Amino acid sequence: MEQLIEQLKSQIIEALNFEDLTPADIETDAPLFGEGLGLDSIDALELIMLMDREYGIKLADPKEGKVIFRSVRTMAEFIQANRKK
Amino acid sequence: MRIAITGIGAISAIGRNCAETLQSLLDERSGIGAMRLLGSVHTDLPVGEVPLTDAELKHIAGVADSEPMPRTSLLGIIAAREALEQAGLNEKMVNGLAFISGTTVGGMDLTEQHWQDYALGKASENIRLHEAGESTNAIARQLSTLNFIATPSTACSSALNAIMLGANLLRTGQVKAALVGGAESLSKFHLNGFNTLMILDHAPCRPFDADRLGLNLGEGAGYLFIEPEEDAIARGATILGYIGGYANTCDAYHQTASSDNGEGALLAMSGALRMAGLQPSDIDYVNAHGTATPNNDLSESAALRRLFGSNLPAISSTKAFTGHTTSASGGLEAAICVLAMQRGFIPANLNWSTTAEGLITPVTHTLHQPLKHILCNAFGFGGNESSLIISNEGIDLSEAPLIDISKYRTVEISQDIDVSAYVSPAESRRMTPQTRRIVAAARRAMAESGIATPDAIVCATQWGCMLQSMRFLQDIIDSGEQQLKPTPFMQSTHNTVASTIAILTANHGYNTTYSQGKQSLDCALADIRTQMSLGLIQTAMVIEFDEQVDAWDAVLQHIGDSTQNIARVTIYTNRKQ
Repeated sequence: MEQLIEQLKSQIIEALNFEDLTPADIETDAPLFGEGLGLDSIDALELIMLMDREYGIKLADPKEGKVIFRSVRTMAEFIQANRKK
Repeated sequence: MRIAITGIGAISAIGRNCAETLQSLLDERSGIGAMRLLGSVHTDLPVGEVPLTDAELKHIAGVADSEPMPRTSLLGIIAAREALEQAGLNEKMVNGLAFISGTTVGGMDLTEQHWQDYALGKASENIRLHEAGESTNAIARQLSTLNFIATPSTACSSALNAIMLGANLLRTGQVKAALVGGAESLSKFHLNGFNTLMILDHAPCRPFDADRLGLNLGEGAGYLFIEPEEDAIARGATILGYIGGYANTCDAYHQTASSDNGEGALLAMSGALRMAGLQPSDIDYVNAHGTATPNNDLSESAALRRLFGSNLPAISSTKAFTGHTTSASGGLEAAICVLAMQRGFIPANLNWSTTAEGLITPVTHTLHQPLKHILCNAFGFGGNESSLIISNEGIDLSEAPLIDISKYRTVEISQDIDVSAYVSPAESRRMTPQTRRIVAAARRAMAESGIATPDAIVCATQWGCMLQSMRFLQDIIDSGEQQLKPTPFMQSTHNTVASTIAILTANHGYNTTYSQGKQSLDCALADIRTQMSLGLIQTAMVIEFDEQVDAWDAVLQHIGDSTQNIARVTIYTNRKQ
């Protein structure tokens, strides 16, 4: 799990173009949206695409992302349980 | 001056002309269906295609089979000619005519088809047609006598912005008449783009319905022929309606989402009412933007409720008939409003069944009643909000002679300047290096001039946001239209720069972009000078930009051209220096 969390942090930084951040800057349990990284609706779509590309998980409804993307940990848990690759 | 509408032209999935369009509306017959012509792999997405091949459109438009022509231009020629004919003019009779046609797709369909050819130095005659302004020129060449040509490119509000510029040119006596509206074909580029935003419904769209899941894309063109009432009367033309008032504002909220309270939309609608000297209660019908995305319909409903309170007029979206015709929608729907006024009916908002909290309840079946004042909305990416009032009685709009305007401050930023002091990493993470330079130039110009909130932000660009456009196009080709990233698409529209700056500086003012080749700056200056003459604005920021892109240079070399980085921002005022 910890390995997946670290990998996910790097993938998030790359997918969302956070050039000035390193994985250590992202807190595993901090909210991704609103506060924390302050992500928006386009970032949510990028994260949905990231899960599709890297883990073979397809979401049909962007609203599902709200719960999954609460934090890096919740995202990692969802990936762990649903990954196809 | 009273601005009369004496001709309209329309083509879309519900008709090749105004008569067919009217019949489809009255019959409540949607044009949305399975994809037949576009050739995208996403055949599960319904679209509003004009059911004619390019060859068939060329035949109708009187264009030779061998002549390269974007589908956008073909649709434009057919609708523009209809509007001119209805106005009782053949092109040669018109002197001092402006042709202002909004588009964002431009010739992207040809670029998609010929991308591999271009790399090999083949089909080079099509390359220049990629440019939005050149797709307008292709229409204009078929119409002959035209004195002023401009292409506003603000995505889905482009055509309404074209109508506003045309009206302003009339009010300052710069042209005798104007043919105004927009044209846009479907493209794999923007179908895939909207798909990455997850706002396309896999079923026919349901504007304002509780269970709506998104929009269907459509294509088409729509134009109004407008002229001073006295000229129309003098030449015995039939007056179909009048331009009542109009406004463009920026929501200044997000590149692809509308604010929850519909602030920008409210400002646009109330601005149009103010210009017309009308009260909300004077409006008989609102032709809503109503795309059927969860976000648009909720935000537009909020704005409508704030403007009209509990006395909502009849409201419908006609996008369940035509699909969302993006840059053409303002022109097409303005033409539909004129048809509705002429015939005395409110078009149905098809596919609606369930209400939900916060949403307006639309008119679900054709209502026959006389209409005096109609409000027509078109909202684009970056919160570019435009509203137009069409009236059946003349409305006096102020006139003014053209005044001189002054350059107040110019800032130019070249490639080798570090701009990190002007744009933070968090702000700039979606920007290309050139966009960062443009934003830095804008911020410096605002700081050095002491004008933090110019009344207008107007961009002039030949190719637009080309790096992100080329990235997205290449991704489409490489991936076979699969697993595409939304960011390059949402950053690819011509108006991305103007809206980005408005969002960063919370500027709700006038916001637009012209893409007209080497004349783009002339168009931008004509716009702000005209608005300053009319007292609509006092200050303006004009942004000249283009982006050097290797992938596009590899194509342009075959026609002896290349792209270059330009980031030049000038603050203009109506005051003598």
